[in-house]
Amino acid sequence: MSDKLNVTLHEKDLKKVSAAQKVTKAASKTLTYAFLFLIAIIVLFPFYWMIISSLKSLDEYKLSVPTLFPREILWHNYVEAFDAANLGTLFKNTVIVGVVSTLLSLVITVLSAFAFARLEFKGKNALFAALLGTMMIPGELFTITNYQTVNEFGWMDTYTVLIVPFLVSIFYIYLLRQNFLQIPNELYLAAKVDGTSDIKYLWKVMIPLALPTLISITILKMMGAWNSYMWPNLVTKSAEMELITNGLRNAYTDASGDTNFPVQMAAVAIVSAPLFLVFLFLRKYIMKGVSRSGIKG
Amino acid sequence: MVESKHKWKAWLYLAPAIILLLIFTVWPIINTLHMSVQEGFNQAQANIGVTFDYGFGNFQNVIEYDYFKDCLFNTILLCVLTVPISTILALVIAVCLNSIGPLSRFLQTIYFLPYVTNSIAIGMVFAAMFNMVGNNFGNENELVITAGIINNVIEFFGGDPINWINAGSSYWANITVMVVYIVWNALPFKILILLGGLQSVNKQYYDAAKVDGTSRFRVFSKITVPLLSPMIAYVVITGFIGGFKEYSSIVGIFGEKMGPTGDARRLNTMVGFIYDAIDTQQGRASAAALILFGIIFVVTLINLAVSKKKTHY
Amino acid sequence: MKIVLQNLTKIFPSRNKKVKDEVVAVSDFTFTIPDGKLIGLLGPSGCGKSTTLYMISGLQKPSGGKIFFGDDDVTELSAENRGVGLVFQNYALYPHMTVKQNILFPLQNLKGADKLPKEEMIERAYTAAKLVQIDNLMDRKPSELSGGQQQRVAIARALVKMPKVLLLDEPLSNLDARLRLQTREEIRRIQKETGITTIFVTHDQEEAMSISDLIVVMKLGVVQQIGAPQEVYDDPTNLFVAKFLGTPPINVFEGKVEGEKLYIGDAAVLDVPGVSDQPVTVGIRPEGFNLDPNGAFVCKLQNVEVMGRDVSIVSTNEASLNPVVRSIINADNKVEASETVTFSLKPHKVFLFSKEDESRIYF
Repeated sequence: MSDKLNVTLHEKDLKKVSAAQKVTKAASKTLTYAFLFLIAIIVLFPFYWMIISSLKSLDEYKLSVPTLFPREILWHNYVEAFDAANLGTLFKNTVIVGVVSTLLSLVITVLSAFAFARLEFKGKNALFAALLGTMMIPGELFTITNYQTVNEFGWMDTYTVLIVPFLVSIFYIYLLRQNFLQIPNELYLAAKVDGTSDIKYLWKVMIPLALPTLISITILKMMGAWNSYMWPNLVTKSAEMELITNGLRNAYTDASGDTNFPVQMAAVAIVSAPLFLVFLFLRKYIMKGVSRSGIKG
Repeated sequence: MVESKHKWKAWLYLAPAIILLLIFTVWPIINTLHMSVQEGFNQAQANIGVTFDYGFGNFQNVIEYDYFKDCLFNTILLCVLTVPISTILALVIAVCLNSIGPLSRFLQTIYFLPYVTNSIAIGMVFAAMFNMVGNNFGNENELVITAGIINNVIEFFGGDPINWINAGSSYWANITVMVVYIVWNALPFKILILLGGLQSVNKQYYDAAKVDGTSRFRVFSKITVPLLSPMIAYVVITGFIGGFKEYSSIVGIFGEKMGPTGDARRLNTMVGFIYDAIDTQQGRASAAALILFGIIFVVTLINLAVSKKKTHY
Repeated sequence: MKIVLQNLTKIFPSRNKKVKDEVVAVSDFTFTIPDGKLIGLLGPSGCGKSTTLYMISGLQKPSGGKIFFGDDDVTELSAENRGVGLVFQNYALYPHMTVKQNILFPLQNLKGADKLPKEEMIERAYTAAKLVQIDNLMDRKPSELSGGQQQRVAIARALVKMPKVLLLDEPLSNLDARLRLQTREEIRRIQKETGITTIFVTHDQEEAMSISDLIVVMKLGVVQQIGAPQEVYDDPTNLFVAKFLGTPPINVFEGKVEGEKLYIGDAAVLDVPGVSDQPVTVGIRPEGFNLDPNGAFVCKLQNVEVMGRDVSIVSTNEASLNPVVRSIINADNKVEASETVTFSLKPHKVFLFSKEDESRIYF
């Protein structure tokens, strides 16, 4: 074989090569970190701006050269934000809708996933395939009719309208069914032999084993309630029934169209805080759930 | 599988889901199709006995309607700009994150933060950052009190401030703000998926490349990207699907007027178009929703076809 | 090109910061690998053989010691600058590239003065492919190849850049028994043809013995013995090496030396001149037994396995540290069916080891 490559290392200066390789390595490492930190700053900046703006006075906020830290910390903005937009009611509504719809949704999801994973009945696979097919359709297509339907039902401006139409998520059923299928069927047969009822088996075996998925579903569903905007905006007409996001967008603008930005930012901070806290404690479940779903809200 | 003696049991378990699905999923599909083919359908009039001719007038109307074209243009423009930008950026970030040891987890957590936010709420923060307090920017008589932090930064680097989102702002300035915000919002999910993909790539491929003296760029383009192609296809497809349904991030920045003061609805999207017609022109809304479905369907098919050709194994 | 390892050491820091439990993967390894030879690094898993290989490749950095390629100190040089060829245990073929693209890949990395014209790259790729006899598979993807074919592609990819050193990490472990036999001959042939200094890692002693010019037996990061395969087999330095080499494995007994005689149980089985009185561990190779009605070593006969050329006698002995004593004798000998079987021993197939440190006691 030819020896074009067999230029011995002698010919190159070894010291030079190893020095150059060190420099390249150090430089690329530095560049990588610099880039990642720059991105981190860009990602974090809006949060930082939200917090410092929320603590400024309106006059300070409007300075043509902005201050990077409030001269005087005005906690009062938070009180004002809370009162001005009736955040208390909005919080209450959102929590009620979030908790109730999550609980009901979990029950429905568990029962359906169990039926699809463990029970045998005619048309099971066809039904499941049809359900998965509907996931392709954009939600807006359903909204038009659902809007009429809830109107017909006289549900406008009630908690029901905020909860019921979205209780079934094909995606969650799919996710949980996959999880249930991984649990060996022998466990179910053994339970049947011992005379355990389906419900007891579900409760004692399936649910504990599928707990991580259930937690992911719970978190995603709660986040969904917290972030939902379009549907509540359509079906709530009175301020008493609004959810947090709806109340948030239109408050803090006075009659002249001027916005009290610090107070608005305080409200945004208040609304964002619960999600952040949940994320802090349940990071693992959220990231796992999201990486499997890719569905926001 | 267990041959259950009580087959009704399965149906009992499924009953709540099926009933709700019939009302809120199956019926809407039928009803939407039905409404879309009744020309000029309006529910309020239908309720008092007005009947409508069958035909494809709704579709024709929607397609010929200039305003719909604007909405479609906005939607496609945002898609075409944000999906590639966010995908490439997320890919680079994921590769960098994967190459460092310490701080990698910490940074990953930071990058994920935008995901756990309310897109309307943080949209308001972005609006505040781009906002100028004081109207008619550019008019010499108008005193601009603050140009917004973004403009301050631009001025700091010697540029001229830009009217991003206020009255009199240009369309492209608005679009730029939207692209920045949507990309910021889209990064966490894409980074998460791509990083997960990178971590499952066998490290020996990189060792082999290293022994063979492969340059970093070649490793990236010849090994990382092809091996990651299934994940890249996934984030691109979900990105496009999400992009065609863009709505709330625009509300976040511009409010429900969907445009700067003085030019409301300029940035309206397909979804916005549907919502605008939902109260009074259900026929048109249905037709638009079906068109949206068709577009998403076709784009997804194209994406799948392309990715099948480009993903190698 | 010869390779010199000088006091090569690799210590992996402990994972848990609180507990100090660093792992010494390779300890003070000094050895000169002569030019153009095939070297087998041999040992049970976790003995540091792969770590040694990766340090030679540059993928891992030694904690101490030096590595020389020829006269050049390459210790600080990273993998891409060392110009070695490395074949991974599971081949690491790029799944999205064809065989041809895989083999071309290292050549396409060359830059500047080393850059080759396209025709030459292709010619070289085909030369390498012919050498490992896969030139008819160039347009396939790795997933369409058998394990043995993938192995050859991996070797071709390593050879195409004409490395001064070829490193193979457990090259045969993913192949079935028949292919393994065939491939190891192949590796030997390729190595002979190219004359590239080749180091391969294996846990299979038979594999190492059959093709290596030299074998290095390692245990827990420490080199036990280096030598030509037959030399190491015939003259193990300690009990570990004796036990590790040979199929069937060596028979091990409790024994003692008294008055320059070796006792196994109560029987004086061999004269061991010059060995002081002490308890010992005795190793006897299966071929070290002679059927001898007058022999001193008596075992209970369990069964006789006829293997054609040879006969394998399976028996038991109370002093044996293995469940059975296995001896192999020429098939010309007739084994009578009886309760016991009596042997005399071939002195050069009997090894004595110290009870204290398992080192060899020569006689």
